[in-house]
Formats: sequence, C-alpha cells, structure tokens
Amino acid sequence: MSVTIVGVIGIVALFVLIFSRIPVGLVMALVGVTGFAYMINVDAAMSMMVKDIFDVFGSYNLTVIPLFILMGQIAFHAGISARLFNVAYKMIGHWPGGMAIATIGACAGFAAICGSTNATAATMASVTLPEMKKYGYKDSIATGVVAAGGSLGILIPPSVIFILYGIMTEQSIGKLFMAGILPGIILTILFMLVVMIWAIMDPEVAPRGPKSTFKEKIVSLSGIIETLLLFILVMGGLFGGLFTPTEAGGVGAMGTLVIALVQRKITFKGIFEALFETTRITAMILVIVAGATIFGHFLAITRLPYDIAQMVSTLALPPFAIMGLIILVYLVGGCFIDALALIMLTVPIFFPVVTAMGFDPVWFGVIIVLVTQMGVITPPVGLNVYVVQSVATEVPLETIFKGAMPLLFAIILITVVLIFVPQLALFLPSFMAG
Amino acid sequence: MFLEKTHRFVYSLSKGLNGIAACSVFFMMAITCADVIFRYFRHPITGTFELVGLSGAVAVSFALAQTSLEKGHIAVDFIVRKFSEKTRLWVERVNDIILAVLFALISWHSFILALSSKANNEGTMTLQLPFYPFIIGISVSFGLLFFICLLHFMLSFASSDGSKEAEPGGATCL
Repeated sequence: MSVTIVGVIGIVALFVLIFSRIPVGLVMALVGVTGFAYMINVDAAMSMMVKDIFDVFGSYNLTVIPLFILMGQIAFHAGISARLFNVAYKMIGHWPGGMAIATIGACAGFAAICGSTNATAATMASVTLPEMKKYGYKDSIATGVVAAGGSLGILIPPSVIFILYGIMTEQSIGKLFMAGILPGIILTILFMLVVMIWAIMDPEVAPRGPKSTFKEKIVSLSGIIETLLLFILVMGGLFGGLFTPTEAGGVGAMGTLVIALVQRKITFKGIFEALFETTRITAMILVIVAGATIFGHFLAITRLPYDIAQMVSTLALPPFAIMGLIILVYLVGGCFIDALALIMLTVPIFFPVVTAMGFDPVWFGVIIVLVTQMGVITPPVGLNVYVVQSVATEVPLETIFKGAMPLLFAIILITVVLIFVPQLALFLPSFMAG
Repeated sequence: MFLEKTHRFVYSLSKGLNGIAACSVFFMMAITCADVIFRYFRHPITGTFELVGLSGAVAVSFALAQTSLEKGHIAVDFIVRKFSEKTRLWVERVNDIILAVLFALISWHSFILALSSKANNEGTMTLQLPFYPFIIGISVSFGLLFFICLLHFMLSFASSDGSKEAEPGGATCL
C-alpha cells in the first residue's frame, strides 16, 4: 500500500471516529498513533505520542492561552462584562433592537480582553440574556445574537485562534492580533446593522428599551475605562515591542486582577472560580492541540500535505477560485467538525498551498478566524450555540441556530470583502516592525 | 458499594489535582508579570521561560481528569444522540474501552519516557530542572483517566436496567 493511501485511510478513519462521541483531540491522537505504528513501528509510535504530549503541555509558547483565558475569566468574575453591557445599553438601548445591539457592543468590548469565542459567548449569555428576556426580546434574536457576538472573541485581539495559527505557521502573533482589529470593528458594525434591520422589519422580536438621560449616559461611560486601560496595556505592550504574547497575557491577567482587587469587585471565591474555569478551558484546547500534533506527525510521514499542495498547484484555476474552494471546505467542514479541530487538521495542508499562490500568511490567518466564526454558529456542531444553550437551557438548539443565521451572512460578507480588499487586515500590521 | 466508594475517591483525587493545576496557572501569571517588572529594573528572573513552560505542563496534565469528569472535552455527538438508549449505551461502553486502552498506553509509555529522561539527566538549559517529575505527572494524570474510563464502564453494568449513568459526568467517561 502506498504511503499516500495510508494517509487517505487515516483521514477517513478520523472522520468516521470523530462522530462516535470520543473527544476530537483523542480521536486525532488515536488515529495518528495507529497510523504511525503501521508506517514505522509500535515503539516509535508510542515514543512519538508521549513526547508530543509532553512538548505540547510544556510548551512556553502555548502558555499564552491559559493566561489570556484567565484574563477574561477574572474580568467576568469582577463584573467588567456586566459594566460593558450597561454602557452599551445606556447608549443605544432605546434603538430598534437596541438591547441586542448593546449585546454585540459588549461582546466586542469583552473580546478585547478575552481570547476565546466560547468564553465570550458564555460570559455575555449569562450577563445579557436575563436582561433581554426582561424586556420581551424573543429567544431567537436574544440567543442568536449572543452566539454570533461571542464569535468576535477570536477576531478582536487577543485571540486563541490567532495564537495557535501563529505558532503553527510561524507568523508573528502580534501582527496577527493587529490584523484582526479593523475586520473586528467592521464585523461588529455589520452585526449591529443586521440586528437593527431585523428589529425594524419585525419590531415584535426586539421591543425598544427605555431611553436613558444624558447624565445617565455620561455616568455609565466609567464602565468602559477598565477595559480600555487593559486593552491599551496589552496591545500597547505588544505593539510597542515591550513584551512577548505570553508576557502580554500574564501582564493582562495580573492587570485585570489588580483592577478588580482595587475596586473590591472580586472575591477569593471569584478568583478560584476564574482559575478553575481557566484550567478546564485550557485542558480542553490543549488536548486538541496535542491530538492534532500527533495526527500531524502521522500525516507528515504519509507526505499527504505535500501531495495535496502539489495537486492543487497544478489545477488550472485562478488563485482566487482555489481560495474560494478552500473557504468552502472550511464552511462545510466547520458544520460537522469542531472549528478548532478543523483548523489544527487543515492549516498544515492548506497553508503551503495558500502561500505558494502568493497570498499573505497574516491575511490568511484572518480568513481562518472568520471561517472559524462561521463554524461556531452553524449546525449541527456550532459550539457557541451549545454554550449559549447551556445558559439558556429552556431554549431549543434549533431556535438559537435560527437566530444566529442572519448574523452568519454578515460574517460571509466581511470574508468576501476581505478576499478582495486584503488591506483591511494588513493595514495595521504594516506599521509593526519586523 | 465498592464501585461508588472508588468513584468518590477518584472524584476527590481529580479535584485535588485540579487545585494544583489552578495554583500553577496563578504561578504562571505571577512569575511572568514579576519578570516583566524586574526586567524593567534590569534584574529579570532567571529561567522564567522554563518555569512558565513547566508550570503549563502541570496545569494542563493535572486539569485533565476534572475536565473529563465535567465533560469539558469537545466531542461530536449529534449522530450518537439519535440512537436508541440501548445502542447509545453500547457505543459508550465501546468508547470507554478504546479510551481506557489509549490512556493506559499513554500513562505507561510516559512512565518509560520519565525513566529514560532521568537516566539521561535531561533537564532545562538554564535552571537545570529535571524533566522527569513533570513527565511522571503526565503519566499519573493519564493513569487516573484510565481508571475513570474503567469505572464508568463497570458502573454502566452495575445498574439493574443497564441505563443508569455514572455520576458525576453523565453518559460517557469523557
């Protein structure tokens, strides 16, 4: 049997086993180690597996993930997320769909201090859903907006997906973070527009909230100060070359903790809960990273990524058509496989193809994040929808998926725009040295 | 009774290890921050890079068991959910066995790697911290996961109607 066929069998086995309810990271490890054992021998496969696990778990570069997650968790337990929503609500709560628009604004603000889409969705769901329910918002728009708005957590820096993509492809994480800012702001505005149009067309889904006075609006603005300070601290330090991404995560988490302690907004119980939630999310992510690393080593000896890259480069199609096909693979694949797992599996295959066609690797990183955002809200495996449902247990999954659909079109639109106007992503990184 | 007692013990052990993991995350944050501050005064903390990396290994490996018990790992279950309860139970039993074998292999071979690392005096470059205690930590964590899967498998047979789910954790061990 040729090595390429072994690789194809491995991928087919992976796709079959992934639907068996075994965690995706462990499926990747299982298929990877079995394939490696078949290709080389059992001892080499076992040795490769445990070394990969130790290397991933003990990787300094990957420690940036728990640190940024901790920052977001402390911010949540200190009530920063609630204060962000309050600011947005006071400003625009009386607009058509105002509270849902405020939710998106709060999601964007929280995304600036949290690197995870699930954590952003979970946090904002617990903060905003009770408020929207109180004012008579329909479940579909309320939950859909939180699920889609939560996806901003990985586009607006810091971002776990940018970090993983940067490590996998050896791109500057700082540049990737910068590249996410403009598309993040534009997508936030697009989300808001979609919600406003939705609320104007069907006012019953999102009744207008009470109008705040000018004084109330000014007073509420203080709720944005801490987020602004933390964002400037983290991104300013990275942008100015003062510290590495891991150090930015550490400084950001400590900064959030200090602010929360000074304001007496966090208890010891809150700190412990933030730490425990951080260990849980980190273990979840790094098991997938370790599994993908093991599977990646198996794929490497089958030469499959190289063969695919060769095959694609010989296709008589213009680069934009190939890019369209790649995005289509992510769109369809993202419906069935967890977005993070899909990225870990496919980036090693598609990255050489994309760079060979002359596309900018930083720009491709932003495209990857956008398709991930689509993946977390599309059925049947839209992780953010599951996260929101875990908070709004009485709302059926179908309702949340339906509610997120109008916002999916906004993500598709920004992706298409970004394909034709890459400068939207590359403008800010161009100011960074190196 | 024995199974329940063992389950309670495993649950407490997982919680204890998760506590160590949480402390490691706090340590990572504190030392990273301290290094940035001291570096400003031209006295960086030697070996921060190594300490943070190894703390990461402790944080992740010691959080694995509790994450599993809380069903924190991402799994695709929309097809299995459509099966009948009986079929689902058998799928979960097969999964438990597959995972138990995988965890046993990882645990055992991590232990072998730790022994070889100790024999070769492998450690970090700056602080000369040995790797083997951290690899043993990984071995212990996966050993615990092996027991969790095995227990879950046995508990699925312990119920009289065969449909009782092991608590806490729900339908499958992970």
